[in-house]
Amino acid sequence: MAEDLVLDTAIRDWVLIPLSVVMVLIGVLRYFVSKLIRSDQIPDIKIVKEGQVIIRARYLRAAANFIPAKSFRVRRHYYSNEENGLLHVPKGQAQNPQAQMFSDPNMAMDMMKKNLSMIIPQTLTFAWVNFFFSGFVAAKIPFPLTQRFRAMLQNGIDLSTVDVSYVSSRSWYFLNLFGLRGLFSLILGEDNATDDAQRMMQMGGFGFDPTRSLGAEKDGLDIVQHDWALPKFEQRAAAVLKKLVS
Amino acid sequence: MAVHEDSNAHKKKSSDALDEIPTFNVDNMQNNTRIINYSRTFMSIIGGVIAGILGFTGLMGFIFYFLVMAITTAGLAAKTGFAVHSYFDSWNRIVLDGILGGLLSFVLFWTFAYDIVHIF
Repeated sequence: MAEDLVLDTAIRDWVLIPLSVVMVLIGVLRYFVSKLIRSDQIPDIKIVKEGQVIIRARYLRAAANFIPAKSFRVRRHYYSNEENGLLHVPKGQAQNPQAQMFSDPNMAMDMMKKNLSMIIPQTLTFAWVNFFFSGFVAAKIPFPLTQRFRAMLQNGIDLSTVDVSYVSSRSWYFLNLFGLRGLFSLILGEDNATDDAQRMMQMGGFGFDPTRSLGAEKDGLDIVQHDWALPKFEQRAAAVLKKLVS
Repeated sequence: MAVHEDSNAHKKKSSDALDEIPTFNVDNMQNNTRIINYSRTFMSIIGGVIAGILGFTGLMGFIFYFLVMAITTAGLAAKTGFAVHSYFDSWNRIVLDGILGGLLSFVLFWTFAYDIVHIF
């Protein structure tokens, strides 16, 4: 069943190209709008302090092998000792920052704004595609698919004998949605808000809970085995200098 | 491919002089990884357009895609002077990174070019 349908040139001119162009333009627009909307949020000083402590502990963990064992132990003790170690959180305070975070109206508003700026253009474009471009074959995908994909790809087309490769414009929309991510990363640079899949993955990890990350950092620090990376450093330095001088 | 080589011109050495324990300069590593991603995306887009124009269908198209990716890998390896370990932390980066992401862009542009040239 490989008969080649001949499709109207007008479909190409008025459906495929405009849809792609519109999606690219909407992506660019969304990027600039999200940059403009980003409100200045004055962070809570306690959160900032804890964040910085975590960063310092992380540096210590990363570079542990470059300082002598004794120095490393001293530093580790500073962070994780039981009485006044920076990373040690008394049990009572555990839940507070998180509760504060959720009830803080600014933070909630910010989250909602980010979510909306992501979802609304997609929804609008999808509705537009459905309204204007349904009921006809829009494109042919060059590789064959099984019959199970027919329901997904041929939504507006009511003929059941048409080859599954001939798809409706809805699937052209989805193809564009995923394929243009690469293009956006090329033309907009790295920090673009159009990468929905990545954003959705980040949403799962929301809840910057400082106490939990402090605890995690402390555990990480406790685990580190110190492996002195520069045992013969003096000899090597001497050898290099000798080479330079001679 | 002027753009291809141009973007590679900014690769930097990321492992430092102490060769016994590998240590990496994070900024340079990120820069190099970014360059790999850009190169792969660009090549998959171009490869998609070529595949569509030449009329590949089905399996041939996917084989062409992996061929283009292999050419990209070879190009990246040649650019590093085959001393991959001084620019990246493992072979996997230069070989495997970004292949699946590029696949979607490839399919999009392949479909686009194929339809424009052959169906309409």
